[in-house]
Amino acid sequence: MTEVSPLFSLRDVSKRYGAVEALTGVDLDVYSGDVIAICGDNGAGKSTLIKVLSGAEIASGGEIMLAGRRMHFRSPQDALAQGVATIYQDLALAPRLSITANIFMGAELTRPLLGRFLRVLDKARMAKQAEAYLKRLAVSIDDMSTPVERLSGGQRQAVAISRALRWNANVIIMDEPTAALGVRETAMVLDLIRRLRETRHTVVLISHNMADVVAVATRVAILKSGRKVFDTPIDGMSAGRLAGLIMSGGQ
Amino acid sequence: MSRQPAAGSPPRIAAILQRYGTALAGAGVITFFLVMAPNFSSPGNLLNIVKETSFLAILALGFALALTVSELDLSIADIASLAAVTAGWCIQAGQSPGIAVAAALAIGTALGAANGFGVTVLKVPSLIMTLGTAAIAKGISFYITQGVAFVGRWPEGFTGIARGATFGVSNLIWSLVLVGIFCLFLMKSTQTGAHMTATGEAEEAARLAGIATKSMKRLGMILAGVLAGITAILLAANLSSAAPNMAGDFFLYAIAAVLLGMTMFEPGHPNVPGTVLSALVLKSLGNGLVLLGAPYYAQDIVLGAVIIGSVALSAGFMQNAAFKV
Ligand SMILES: Nc1ncnc2c1ncn2[C@@H]1O[C@H](COP(=O)(O)OP(=O)(O)OP(=O)(O)O)[C@@H](O)[C@H]1O
Ligand SMILES: [Mg+2]
Repeated sequence: MTEVSPLFSLRDVSKRYGAVEALTGVDLDVYSGDVIAICGDNGAGKSTLIKVLSGAEIASGGEIMLAGRRMHFRSPQDALAQGVATIYQDLALAPRLSITANIFMGAELTRPLLGRFLRVLDKARMAKQAEAYLKRLAVSIDDMSTPVERLSGGQRQAVAISRALRWNANVIIMDEPTAALGVRETAMVLDLIRRLRETRHTVVLISHNMADVVAVATRVAILKSGRKVFDTPIDGMSAGRLAGLIMSGGQ
Repeated sequence: MSRQPAAGSPPRIAAILQRYGTALAGAGVITFFLVMAPNFSSPGNLLNIVKETSFLAILALGFALALTVSELDLSIADIASLAAVTAGWCIQAGQSPGIAVAAALAIGTALGAANGFGVTVLKVPSLIMTLGTAAIAKGISFYITQGVAFVGRWPEGFTGIARGATFGVSNLIWSLVLVGIFCLFLMKSTQTGAHMTATGEAEEAARLAGIATKSMKRLGMILAGVLAGITAILLAANLSSAAPNMAGDFFLYAIAAVLLGMTMFEPGHPNVPGTVLSALVLKSLGNGLVLLGAPYYAQDIVLGAVIIGSVALSAGFMQNAAFKV
């Protein structure tokens, strides 16, 4: 693996909020197909790290390289345009709108109506593709016009991920995707993440749940007080050992 | 993974009632008056109702477009009055009908844009912003007219916009049809409409998906102003006069039409067919009540009840359709 160049890298990334140094000199290499978990205690800097990576915040120092090119994300849209999609904890879905409307939000498919001057929404094609995106995640829901608020937590995650796929994202960042979910729903979301890995997507995962991390992640990076203190392949690590590493700060 | 049905989809009959229940009730109201109210069914009266419905529905569609981007526009009626007065002033000053029409549309557009600016740039909540705009528009209307109405023998080129007919059908009806088709097409078939809906439903999610949410909000409020301008032209042309507060009576009616419309066809969402049908139902109700000898103020009481009842129905009975602004 090591001779392949990383898909993206953070070099000496830092982020200050006034006097608070939320991230200090973080280096991180992520390879294509990795599912990398970012772990650490409350306030360790996990959310800050993904905000910087997703363009929601601008780093105070250091650089982000994507496929060998230096990135200057100023907004989540910039990151999205480069294939880096973030699935926020609240999923950023419109609950009362349909599955199709959510998956294609902001990137609707259209077809010409009167020559090239007037384009109208291509609803049939969007519904069909929405179903196909969900199928890629091994999720099938009967009716693509169902409002998202009628879906289960796991199905909603699938819709949010499908939207990322719609944007052709190859890096998908997920902040606490299982935090609010029950056992079955959690299992479903872990399956979604495995699916993403099988389809060569790269996943950055924040989770407080050690069992989830050892179940799906290929690597874990541990943050403590804004510094990366540990970075290791999971390789059959137990949840207990991971918890110990986080508490001891990687000692 | 196995095929999972979406949880909680209501059974068939309930779903039909949810979508069309109040529409059917509205049809029932019209039928009641057709049978019970003397003269309600006379051609003259029916034509009058349809004409009144045209003014109301066009104004209400503006409110619906603003509500689609999750903004309340309480200034539509006063914008319409000011636009009508402006058109009337042009006509009285001997300007051509084209100038009068352009002036009314410009007033509507400008005040709609002012509302959009206030809401998206100055961050004034639309409830407050449009209340302020309404007061300003009303004040200017009184200033322009000095409190009296512009009346006179207005050129047919202007009055014909409302009083004339094309292919044997009243221009008022044509106006409603054209505006209705435009709104329906915009909301249902264009990317812009989808972006407006997403903005109104989940602004943050829409913004994160790259939608220009502020532009969508401004567009919704500008369109509300433009439709108020169109309503103004039709009102002034039909009456061949313009008075301050001439659209005032349409204010509560318009809000009621949109909110009642939100209980049908697409429960919980402002929608074009619901708004137009509700406008017809409400105008029939008002007209029928008068014909049945109910006192004039009964209309206000009924409108108030319709406004509260519609929102309660949207929020409660149809659980999926909570009204939010
Ligand atoms: N917008 C902000 N302004 C000021 N300080 C901030 C801001 N965001 C985060 N911080 C600080 O930066 C540090 C790291 O915060 P961050 O949210 O990244 O932690 P976290 O690891 O995600 O924690 P949690 O597990 O509680 O979500 C904390 O000390 C926090 O107080
Ligand atoms: Mg956090």
